[in-house]
Amino acid sequence: MKAMLIDTTRCVGCRGCQVACKQWNGLPAEETVFFGGPGYQNPRDLSGKTWTLITYNEAQVGDHYDWVYGKLQCMHCQEPACAASCPTSAMEKLPEGPVVYHPNQCLGCRYCMLACPFQVIRFDWFSANPYVSKCTMCADRVLSGQEPACVKACPTDALVFGDREVLIAEAHHRIEDNPRKYVHHVFGEHEVGGTCVLHLSTVPFELLGYRSDLPEKSLRRWTEPAMKPIPYIVVALSLALGGVAWIVNRRDKRLVEKWTKQVKEMQ
Amino acid sequence: MTDAWIKPQITRRNVVLYLLAALGFVLVVIRFAGGIGRVSNLNDGYPWGFWIGLDILAGIALAAGGFIVAGMVHLFGARKYHVLARPAILTAFLGYLLFIIGLAIDLGRPWMIWQALFHWNHSSPMFEVSWCVTMYTTVLLMEFLPVVFERFGWKHLHDMWHNLVPWVIIGMLTLFTLAMSGSVGWTVVVFAILLAWEVSMRTGLMQRDAQMPTLLVMAGIIFSTLHQSSLGSLLLIIPHKLHPLWFTQAIPIFFLLSAVMIGVGMVIFENIISARVHDRKPDTHLLAGFARALPYLLGLYLLLKVGDIFRTGAAEYLFMFNSVAIGMWLELVVGVLIPLVLFMTPETRESERWLLWGSIFVVAGGIINRLNTVITGVVVANWAPYHPSWMEVAISLGVLSGGILVLDFIVRNFSVFEDRHALAR
Ligand code: SF4
Repeated sequence: MKAMLIDTTRCVGCRGCQVACKQWNGLPAEETVFFGGPGYQNPRDLSGKTWTLITYNEAQVGDHYDWVYGKLQCMHCQEPACAASCPTSAMEKLPEGPVVYHPNQCLGCRYCMLACPFQVIRFDWFSANPYVSKCTMCADRVLSGQEPACVKACPTDALVFGDREVLIAEAHHRIEDNPRKYVHHVFGEHEVGGTCVLHLSTVPFELLGYRSDLPEKSLRRWTEPAMKPIPYIVVALSLALGGVAWIVNRRDKRLVEKWTKQVKEMQ
Repeated sequence: MTDAWIKPQITRRNVVLYLLAALGFVLVVIRFAGGIGRVSNLNDGYPWGFWIGLDILAGIALAAGGFIVAGMVHLFGARKYHVLARPAILTAFLGYLLFIIGLAIDLGRPWMIWQALFHWNHSSPMFEVSWCVTMYTTVLLMEFLPVVFERFGWKHLHDMWHNLVPWVIIGMLTLFTLAMSGSVGWTVVVFAILLAWEVSMRTGLMQRDAQMPTLLVMAGIIFSTLHQSSLGSLLLIIPHKLHPLWFTQAIPIFFLLSAVMIGVGMVIFENIISARVHDRKPDTHLLAGFARALPYLLGLYLLLKVGDIFRTGAAEYLFMFNSVAIGMWLELVVGVLIPLVLFMTPETRESERWLLWGSIFVVAGGIINRLNTVITGVVVANWAPYHPSWMEVAISLGVLSGGILVLDFIVRNFSVFEDRHALAR
């Protein structure tokens, strides 16, 4: 399975990846506004037009304050909650790694957005024919053997693409080689069952806006026990209710027979 | 029954309903022209909100009376409650239609709903809910049809209905099992069981209910059990967002149990209210008998819920002063504790006034519970909290008002409360 490693310590915040993403996926420009908070970040958040975003975070690094960059995008979970929840299978996990979206199947129920642990799916709130949108890991490129557009564009090799196991090993190497530089955790290795986008950072991941309290189990582990018993319930209820009907109706018939007999005897 | 139609009329008593329905309609037009963002405060962090909570989660629980009463009367042999069956089935049917309208407003592209018939996703509770609800609405329609046949005196259609419905049900449940399990084995088993019951009834081996085909009532119970609980399963995928007071692996069980409570409460509420509106006297004694189930249900719910809160270690959150704790206390006190006391006490249970109040508490508590589960209890990290906009609320109220007006029209024109079964064999 393919994956992507984001080493935020190598990122210089050039946002070349953001632009490359727009170019490859044909996404329109964003009308941006000034906003309070994280200084040079632009635009403020992911949207239907922006599928990946470099976040600008001010954090204490060693003894000084510095910019620390993060990259927001779909994490391409190994067992995606979005795909597990979609009633029409409009979200699909490809064996190659990408989680892709089939817009024609989408009802716009937004259950995937509720389910996504990383909060990366966006909805066309002001459209009469709305879709959701998110990063596709450039599935079209990946399936033809190329790397995603953002990886291709990155000038500092902060983004690299490859087999998931290889990248995990590489990430651990980097931590071992430079234990003071990195937080000793590969974000995405185990989170919600593991993701195909892995992060390394020099500051605690919460400071980059990542959730550090996510479970290691895939979120499906909670829905599965509720879905599995369905056929058992259908069979059990079909048997039990039929049995009840049998007993009740026989009882009623006997009662009626008894009454008719009594009435006859009285006459 | 060949009386003339009683036309709907705007009166002082119902003018508010007409106004709300009209306002709702205007807002729905705006929503379909300009998108959901035009009328709602829903956003990318809180994609689900008031509509899902009220129209769908609460609405479906409120309509649970249909399968409960139909099951009691036509399957479990509690025939003395038969006068409650028709109104309950009709309300449930209209309730599900309202739910479908509500869902269509909430879905971004409702016209694509048929996609769920072709792209099966066995792991999605939403997939199951959408199938169950479609199937169960059909079941309710079939359960209500005799009333229509009676109104127009279509005896042969009624006979045909009686004959055909079991086969339709066998087809529906078999297809449903295939869609849910994707397994031919399960499908064959379900088909065989249902066929066996129907054949034994047709050959006289087994007695049958004179009014309702047994399989129809069975299907109602099966579909309802499944989707009432699965509406809770919808939330199992968000352990990372739903507050521990509500999040528990047992949430489907709580949804099912509370749907039964709310359904029973709603039947009582509706009977008293419609009796008052139509200047009849409600059969308090009968309703009180019906309400005897409530203390057990409420007590069981309270026991399980409190037990579960301690089991998952969420009890500490109960004793904080914040909206989450208040929300949980509110739903437990209003929806469970107060009605538990009211329905346990024979004096209050036998009085029309307190029956009404008790049922209002159960229903209100149920609505609070469903809203809590998708609004109060859902907390998204790093996102401004969501509050429904007045337009979201107005749309829901508009749909509801429209539904009440239709219900009123049907009750005036069809023998819903009389239960004459003029055509029954
Ligand atoms: S990050 Fe969200 S959208 Fe991406 S695969 Fe995981 S659940 Fe789906």
